[in-house]
Amino acid sequence: MSKRIRILMARLGMDAHWRGSIVVARALRDAGMEVIYVGNQMPANIVQMAVQEDVDFIGLSSLSGNHLELAPRVIALLKEQNIDHVKVIFGGTVAPGDIAELKKAGVAEVFGPGTPLKKIVEYISKEVTESD
Amino acid sequence: MTTALLNDDKIAKIGKASQAWRDEAYSCHKELKKKYETLSGFEIKPLYTPQDLRDGDYLRDLGFPGEAPYVRGVHPTMYRGRTWTHRQLAGFGPPEETNKRYKFLLNQGATGINGVFDYPTLRGYDSDDPDVYADVGRGGVSIDSIEDMRILFDGIPIDEVSVSLVTCQPICNISVQSMYFANAGNRGVPLDRLAGTSQNDFLMETAITIAPGVTPPKVSFRLSCDAIEFCTKYVPRWNPVSFSGYNYREAGCTAPQEIAFMIANAVACSEELIRRGYDIDSFAPRLSFFLSAHNDFFEEIAKYRAARRIYCKIMKERFSPKDPRSLMFRFHVQTAGVALTAQQPLNNIARASYHALSAVLGGAQSVHVDAYDEALCVPTELSSLTALRTQQILQSETGVTNTVDPLGGSYFLESLTSRMEEAIGGILTEIDDMGGIVKAVEKGWIHGEISAAAYQYQTRIESGEMPIVGVNCFQIENEKLPIELFSLPETLKIQKAKLTRIRKQRNSAESQRVLDALARGCEKGQNLMELLVDGVKACVTQGEVSKTLKKVFGVWNPPLF
Repeated sequence: MSKRIRILMARLGMDAHWRGSIVVARALRDAGMEVIYVGNQMPANIVQMAVQEDVDFIGLSSLSGNHLELAPRVIALLKEQNIDHVKVIFGGTVAPGDIAELKKAGVAEVFGPGTPLKKIVEYISKEVTESD
Repeated sequence: MTTALLNDDKIAKIGKASQAWRDEAYSCHKELKKKYETLSGFEIKPLYTPQDLRDGDYLRDLGFPGEAPYVRGVHPTMYRGRTWTHRQLAGFGPPEETNKRYKFLLNQGATGINGVFDYPTLRGYDSDDPDVYADVGRGGVSIDSIEDMRILFDGIPIDEVSVSLVTCQPICNISVQSMYFANAGNRGVPLDRLAGTSQNDFLMETAITIAPGVTPPKVSFRLSCDAIEFCTKYVPRWNPVSFSGYNYREAGCTAPQEIAFMIANAVACSEELIRRGYDIDSFAPRLSFFLSAHNDFFEEIAKYRAARRIYCKIMKERFSPKDPRSLMFRFHVQTAGVALTAQQPLNNIARASYHALSAVLGGAQSVHVDAYDEALCVPTELSSLTALRTQQILQSETGVTNTVDPLGGSYFLESLTSRMEEAIGGILTEIDDMGGIVKAVEKGWIHGEISAAAYQYQTRIESGEMPIVGVNCFQIENEKLPIELFSLPETLKIQKAKLTRIRKQRNSAESQRVLDALARGCEKGQNLMELLVDGVKACVTQGEVSKTLKKVFGVWNPPLF
């Protein structure tokens, strides 16, 4: 049996909404993944914690609109530290036009409002299987 | 009881007849769903009859508008005498821009201001703090100092228009509300002329919109009570707290939890003010509430009515006030943001209209209708105007204001109101047994309850049990967005420049003196708003105030997951 998938979940910057991130965190935990929920953080902390916790994924959440400034920064810092095997996924309120921009910056997948939990769980499981 | 709606004989006859009807109807008709229940899980029968009101007593349980237990409304004439306030939430970018939006809404017939602040302001950070650059101006207007407050209300008659400050968290409220009062002073408007509301709810800080480094529950609660005490003494027309059930609900609560958590909070604040030496009637008439209008139409109406009845009972039992206004549950409603969809956003106009209708049928004092684009961005001028017009149409075209509590007496609604009240009472007992709301927050019980309810809600959407048009049914593949999105005006640069200028120009010895006095006040248990309403005139910033508080009180890590 393969090791449990580890995922660090953080809310970006000052964003106020925890509902989505907590609901997703519970779903991932129920699906057997190990979730390290770290609350509101800035990119440098997120990357540092991801290293410490040796995670496979970073899940970023934001509904405040700060995603184009902070999510790419997380990816840049991961690259700087040569740990770009860690995949970054994003969930929250994003204007449709921003999805392409996030992906261009290296976000592996963007889950907008209304995304079924199942879809997120399946996506992560599939990514891990494929990279094994 | 002579005031019972029907006598026992009549009830028995109706019971027999309705059983016969049921047997007949269900022998040859099927229902579409296995189970019928409200959004918060109250089971619903196919039909309600006078039998469901058999234990009711009209004078005791319903009474008349403007009289206890206020189920039918807090004012005797309700909307025949006075319409609800059309209070549309607005705030984005720098105060220069939001000031224009306020004026636009007032020119278009809004009857109150509802100002929301950006994420850094709500959390007590200055715009030039390195941790907040990506959030300045987002979700609300940025306020760093009294200078921003001056700009925000420039040209707005604050002695005439009532102003709601959505300060959310006590750590924000303690300085932002002080800046509002100080700015009024600078404009020559005496405090006793100011009418308005501040949110100032400690649950917002510690359980609902948790920020990095929040003050511990006891401290946040104290800050909230400091503002209540200050207004009780000096600002008699101000509602110093607006218990924010709306936000509890947005975070995931059920309808009965929304009401119970608010009332538990109001009880705790009342106990604290009494402990500080105030008579219940000196502050309780100014405690106000902020509720959600969610999808389940009848459940929401039942919720508003049940809230009024149980609040009246609880305040009477616990505090025996003499002023009837201390028993009145007065509330503002916002249509549920969480019910809006990013998919097919124009559908949100229909949703918000139903939500607003429930608020008005439930006797709200003031309403905000969400704009159709709020699942995607801050409202544009067009979407805000459409939301305001939705209220105006409801008020002037539909005729729903013509009689008080038009659904009172409905077998279904009265039955649901009673069950809602029972459920709220049950949760309140649980919180009492824990030692009150502050304890319930400290031990993470509130967080657990809300996140469990949020998870269950999501599960019901995903199973298809709860249909959401455009999300799990009636979807459009590859939808092209039919609306223009809001784009945020330049904010960070403007705010930073103002801060730099203020820090250079102010009397730094004086501002330091204010902060030192504040730190001492924290330790000595002084009322901090008393210090700050004068203090902020020395241009101490919001971030400096909250840093000072956190240095003395420390920070708390809420047990969220």
